[in-house]
Amino acid sequence: MEQTNASVTRTPLDSVAVKRKSKSRSYRQSYRSCLGVASRLGLTPARRLTTNRKAPESHNITRQVNPEHLALLVKNEWQLAYVTPLHQFRHTQLRSYARHLSAFVVAEKQQGLAVEVSGLQNGFKASMTVVQGMSEADDDPETVLIQIHSKPLFSRPDDPQKLVWSGWLTCINGNPEYLHSLPKDFTCLPLFVYKGAENLSSLVKSWVQRTFDCCFGPLELSQTSLQWLAALWTNCHAESNIQHLRMLWTLPSAPPLQVTYAVDPHDVWELWGSVRKGSWGDGAGEARWIDLEEVASFMQSLKSHFYRHFKLDLSAGILNQVSTALGSARFNGRIKISNSAYVITTLTLLTECALLKMPI
Amino acid sequence: MSLLKPFSKLPGLNTANILLVENQEQLQHMLADVLVKETPLTVTVRLAKSLPLPVDESRPRIDLVVFIINLTSELSFQSAEDSLKYLDPGYFLGKVCFMVTNARHASVPTERLDALRRLAASLHCPLLFAEDQTPEGVIGAAERLLTILKVSAGVVPMTTALYLSNLTRCTLPPDIDQPSFD
Repeated sequence: MEQTNASVTRTPLDSVAVKRKSKSRSYRQSYRSCLGVASRLGLTPARRLTTNRKAPESHNITRQVNPEHLALLVKNEWQLAYVTPLHQFRHTQLRSYARHLSAFVVAEKQQGLAVEVSGLQNGFKASMTVVQGMSEADDDPETVLIQIHSKPLFSRPDDPQKLVWSGWLTCINGNPEYLHSLPKDFTCLPLFVYKGAENLSSLVKSWVQRTFDCCFGPLELSQTSLQWLAALWTNCHAESNIQHLRMLWTLPSAPPLQVTYAVDPHDVWELWGSVRKGSWGDGAGEARWIDLEEVASFMQSLKSHFYRHFKLDLSAGILNQVSTALGSARFNGRIKISNSAYVITTLTLLTECALLKMPI
Repeated sequence: MSLLKPFSKLPGLNTANILLVENQEQLQHMLADVLVKETPLTVTVRLAKSLPLPVDESRPRIDLVVFIINLTSELSFQSAEDSLKYLDPGYFLGKVCFMVTNARHASVPTERLDALRRLAASLHCPLLFAEDQTPEGVIGAAERLLTILKVSAGVVPMTTALYLSNLTRCTLPPDIDQPSFD
């Protein structure tokens, strides 16, 4: 999209305007045709998140997914990143990948040390497993869980190894057109969710980048995604109590003002119900759709309520964090999912954000 | 109703007047400091938070109105949109410009930038993106504004604001209406 800026800011520097007119027209035509080709090939992804979305149903995925993995997922707060498609990644060769990763991590850790440290002392052991049952659509590749265990320093030889780093590579309900348009050898697992020490994270990322020729990048959640999460979690209040809806706004004053706006769950449920008046009355069991306009008017009513009481217009600021009992999401890409029933819905939204943010 | 009119006063010799409208009042001060240093053209910079402006008979003829919008804040966009009503339609023949800061910030939803593009394209106005965190960025933005200002003030021979606006107006990328995933 930077090209558009260039075409707009090409103001002629001198008064010879007649010659320039034809040049800028041909530049624009070539730009348009190149974009047209790209969109015909189906390679430009959508420019915005979906405008309507299914209302989240609670999925009881403990049947499908290993409960230990689920417990790991809901217990922690994760950092998000996006990954470009992986080249020649085979789900069947995970053991050899894990061995390579362990060797890589150990080698990098020992770099610079003059004396060879005995391998067992604080050796790192990586393991990669496939998490069965998490993918929703047929096209989604299976989720991969990467874990690194190591013994802490000063431990006795027979202590078990502790988990020091874990990460998930996942794709849930990814856009089928995009997944089909990738060439044969590429696996698309755009969402990377990880937690652990920063040096281990960068080691794992550089290993994956080297082995599978891909790129990592930080995934920040835009205002719209945070608003979607707030609305989706509020919608779940009927089935599982959200206990509160807390939002953190930062207003650009000097010094910056931080506003924590906490709403009682019953009030926010009533507000949400009045926003969605039109679509109530559908038979229970039908999947209901939530529109972007409903989310926008929900947020607008919350902001105008705040304005009425405190005379502070929250639209001048930035929404930093949304949290309920079902989870919390921060603008800088940290997410915590506290309830295993809504993992799929949250990860769907995050997969879409990752696919949008990815440079093609 | 105090509409700001572009041609109600005579222009001055070798002078140009620019009006910077910004809800957050940050970039306009920095831009003003750079713009007034221009020679030999005498540039007068007037600052405002929003339109309509209070009635002032001594205000000279404004050659260029620049709306500075910080994309991270919804209020900034709203206030600029509301201020557009108070401009005489004669201004939209090349004497209005939009300047946007923080367009690449991660918290900006793409819908806001698209809405701004549509607005600028429907009004046939240029849309400039500026970087306001470094002095070089501010100087670059001021230079771009000066180029358009010189044409609007009439000091550039052989070209007028209307003619320039045909070249610099914001265009919509062809995939702006591309349906989202779904």
